[in-house]
Amino acid sequence: MKLLLRILILGLPFFLIPMSPPLSPAAKAEEPDFFQPPSDKEIPPGPFGDLVRRGERIFTKTGQFATRYVGNDLTCESCHLDRGRKPFAAPLWAAYVSYPRFRAKNHKVSRLGERIQGCFRFSMNGTPPPLHSETIRSLVAYAFWMSRGAPVGTHMKGGGMYRMPPSRLPPDPFHGKSVYTARCALCHGADGQGTVSGHDVAFPPVWGPRSYNKGAGLAKVAKLAGFIKMNMPLSKGDSLSDQEAWDVAAFIDRQSRPPDPRNAATP
Amino acid sequence: MTNPSLLVVLSAFLICCFSIPEAQAENVLFEAGKKIARAGTGKAGSIACMECHRLRGGGMPSIGSPRIAGQSAIYIAHEILGVQQGTRYAPMMAGVVRDLSRKDIQAVARYYASVRSPKVAEISPPDPALVEIGRSIAQKGLWKKNIPACVLCHGPDGRGIPPHFPYIAGQNKGYLLRQLLSFAFLKRKDDPQGLMRGIARRLTHEERKAVAEYFASLSPPPAAGKRAEVQGSHHP
Repeated sequence: MKLLLRILILGLPFFLIPMSPPLSPAAKAEEPDFFQPPSDKEIPPGPFGDLVRRGERIFTKTGQFATRYVGNDLTCESCHLDRGRKPFAAPLWAAYVSYPRFRAKNHKVSRLGERIQGCFRFSMNGTPPPLHSETIRSLVAYAFWMSRGAPVGTHMKGGGMYRMPPSRLPPDPFHGKSVYTARCALCHGADGQGTVSGHDVAFPPVWGPRSYNKGAGLAKVAKLAGFIKMNMPLSKGDSLSDQEAWDVAAFIDRQSRPPDPRNAATP
Repeated sequence: MTNPSLLVVLSAFLICCFSIPEAQAENVLFEAGKKIARAGTGKAGSIACMECHRLRGGGMPSIGSPRIAGQSAIYIAHEILGVQQGTRYAPMMAGVVRDLSRKDIQAVARYYASVRSPKVAEISPPDPALVEIGRSIAQKGLWKKNIPACVLCHGPDGRGIPPHFPYIAGQNKGYLLRQLLSFAFLKRKDDPQGLMRGIARRLTHEERKAVAEYFASLSPPPAAGKRAEVQGSHHP
């Protein structure tokens, strides 16, 4: 009897622990532990500020301000959401401090400018602007500005794209199609060709001739799944399950898009 | 022997065969819609749309009745159905559209999608401080609260992305604010995937007022997705 009582008393705290409320989840949600880039108001006047502002214009309206280098309907902001600020959408504040870096894509240590050239070649299915061009200089200045105060040489939380845990089941494009129809087609169109507002591209095409080519980062299922998981649909990121993100990425990956220009270049 | 001109004549004939009746049907629908807009359905207690939305769809800012001229027909029909089915909170409209048949809905939607109206004067001049806050939310978003820029879904400068995303540029502020409140707290739940409900809830009340002031201060597009034609030659 005494033993039973002792077990009860000793065990009591263990019953109580799960009943106590979790440690203020509201406070946790309010305090973002992501890097905070400087606000627009802080962009200085003068030539540096001008370059930064020009970079932002190119970034958000790439087809309009870097016309000759763009070969499709995408802008930088199509993937780098919130004008290059959103965590897990390859934010510029994390990109700037992680270059120069070794890239398996071309087996060399690349500078940020060279990396941006790759964006134009693959994601924009266009022509890389020369490294010393105003386009690249403005974009680098924009990224440099945004990374003010960011630590160098360490991994920044929210940098790059979200790394998906491996899928439990093999990604299923057939299930992915029904996810696409239910959650994505509203904006990107049932045919994946995006939607327009008058003559302006509103939602970007996610496959087909006006989308990114097969050499782009998002042409890899894991990367696309991570992007979708954290960012799509807009304002409802992290609402698809991991498996749904894998499946819809596999579905989109099966559609046609422009070829990888590296394959065309090899004789 | 193939005669190219014969082919042209034949194909022109075929096109006419199919398209003329279609155009006529559109016209019949438009006229039927205009009749309901002007005088109601003729059923007992029926109220004409123009009582609040005007015959040309300019709306009435004084009572927060929305501008609907040039909104996409699919959107207008979807909203009327939403009111009928109770997915869209609209205490005024609920009685008005109760007796509309599916065909009546198609007709008024076609009619109001086709008509054009100048902007109707607002109840008060825009508040410049609120307009500035609203402009920033509309064009850049409040991503820290997971609120994308309004223009991402409502089109550049709020001109709409037809058929599903309505234009909100030049809409009256009373209506805009009331809809944000309906999405946030009342029973408007006809938005796809609850997108607007989440966004409206995360805005503070001042921010809701600010975006309403901002979009109300713009000129409306002639039709969803269309750019306003520049009048005169002030712009080079």
